[in-house]
Amino acid sequence: MTQGHGQPAASPPRVDAVWDAGDLACGDLILQLRGRMEAMRPGHVLRLVALDAGAPEDLPAWCRLTGHTLLAADHPVYLIRRKEH
Amino acid sequence: MANKFCVSLTHSKDNTDKATVAFVVANAAVGSGKETMVFLSVEGVRLAQKGVADGIHEEGFAPLRELLDNFTKAGGTIYVCSPCFKKRKLDEHNLVAGATIVGGAKLVEFLSDGSPCVSY
Repeated sequence: MTQGHGQPAASPPRVDAVWDAGDLACGDLILQLRGRMEAMRPGHVLRLVALDAGAPEDLPAWCRLTGHTLLAADHPVYLIRRKEH
Repeated sequence: MANKFCVSLTHSKDNTDKATVAFVVANAAVGSGKETMVFLSVEGVRLAQKGVADGIHEEGFAPLRELLDNFTKAGGTIYVCSPCFKKRKLDEHNLVAGATIVGGAKLVEFLSDGSPCVSY
């Protein structure tokens, strides 16, 4: 698993949960994403599909704000690792 | 003092006076060396479409097209509210230069450094 130190990943990170958010956007997407991340264990990875056109800007911003780690972003697919605490 | 400045605009052709003054203020901010962002939401998102600002010219002000062009050429950025844009079935492939469709988290991040925000 990528450890977030700029090292190239030897293999794709293990995915612990998946969520297809469909067309959810803005506050709706963020609030539901928050709930799903809080329900996960620290260090676990969510594979999120978010179709909204704002997601490529919004999801990295949300990760920077909250401390979760955006492991990969290839719109509309995002891998987010839950923060440790 | 924060080095960022936000102008929130919720109007376009429905209130050309407010739309114009918003970009006049935004240009004052970017011209003062501030990292300036215009947040377009509600009816304001229409200004993110090419051609919509054309023909809007309030008495006593420069044409809106010119104000908008000057803003982006000076390094100003435009955030466009994603759900507002989608609601109006606008074309994300027809955005003016400097415009980016964003959700609320991007706006919150910009304002979280203590950026002031003036609304029109």
